[in-house]
Amino acid sequence: MRKLRPVAGVELHIASARTQAPFDCGPLHEWDSPDPEARTLLYRTNTGYLVRYPALADFEVACEGTSVRYWPVPGVASELIPFLYANQVLPFASARRGRVVLHGSAVEVGGAGVAFIGGSGRGKSTLAASFATSGYRFLADDHLIIECTGAGENLIVPVDPSIRLWEDSRQALMGGAVHGAQTSAGTPKAHLPAQGGIAFCPESRPLRWIGFLGADESEGPEIQRMNRRDVVIELLRNSLFLDNEDRPWLAAHFNRLAVIAEGTACYRLDYPRRFDHLRNVRSAIVGHTRVGAEPE
Amino acid sequence: MNLLSKVSIQAQAMAREIDDETVILDLGSGTYFGLDAVGSRIWQLMTEGATLGAICDAIVATYDVSRSDVERDVLELARSLLARKLIDVS
Repeated sequence: MRKLRPVAGVELHIASARTQAPFDCGPLHEWDSPDPEARTLLYRTNTGYLVRYPALADFEVACEGTSVRYWPVPGVASELIPFLYANQVLPFASARRGRVVLHGSAVEVGGAGVAFIGGSGRGKSTLAASFATSGYRFLADDHLIIECTGAGENLIVPVDPSIRLWEDSRQALMGGAVHGAQTSAGTPKAHLPAQGGIAFCPESRPLRWIGFLGADESEGPEIQRMNRRDVVIELLRNSLFLDNEDRPWLAAHFNRLAVIAEGTACYRLDYPRRFDHLRNVRSAIVGHTRVGAEPE
Repeated sequence: MNLLSKVSIQAQAMAREIDDETVILDLGSGTYFGLDAVGSRIWQLMTEGATLGAICDAIVATYDVSRSDVERDVLELARSLLARKLIDVS
């Protein structure tokens, strides 16, 4: 089984295998898992949170997100576990450490980061993959992590070097079989590691602008400025790992979203969701970045 | 509820000003919505404990709008916030 990837800022403790004891109370949340084979249950503990993948693994995340303790279930060595750790547990720990984690993807254009935010099915992964297979690099897919540095700059922090694509997108962008591609049982999305034809940027990049993906209602690429109030609402809508019972954290998160909205140029980005339009969409995005998307 | 009513903001409402508008997060339901500049001013006056009548006075003094329109809008916003349990009325 692939090892759990170490990450700066998070102490990882691997404990002995143990059976998953039931909780007296129900979960705080049940999250959408990045893999439909694995349910994700979140419980509050005395020291933080427990992320439980039933019959697979438990991860206890300290309240401040600075440490994670991992208990495998006896006799289970699933390849899903490192994937779930990298794609859900670590982003959750990032959120607890004060980073903003959103449902989005991001690419690098001219040394800067451009983020695409929107709900499931809006084309975030396909758009990021189209850049990553056309001479650019992607920074994130599915979980977009933004760090507000407090120095007037917001950074996109790279997450896991992999992209998940529907089969039609994979065929359109990459043609034949991709080395290392894995399809989780029960899902038509392929999990593509960054290698060969998919370029990944492993360093943080300054966030230049955010495109909130529209609903495929335009005839060509459209990039329209948004007002800051609507930006905060969209950032809230696409925020991950909110704990409504942790008021201080939530107030701080709300403030971070306002900081992002005040310091980042944000636009509604819409385009026809057709593969033969992606080249034009990329050109429009690259052109907009180079002309100088600036906050008001 | 009438213009003599005073409202208090409930603990489940978390608000953040951005420019001259406001976003309100309802911690009870996990929903959120925005208020434009006038709505934001009304909300701010509510947080200061003004009666709905005093709020109308302040809005009329600031904006070029009729008293009847202001009273209608203030009462409508107050009813909407009360229905969401974001304010209480005394």
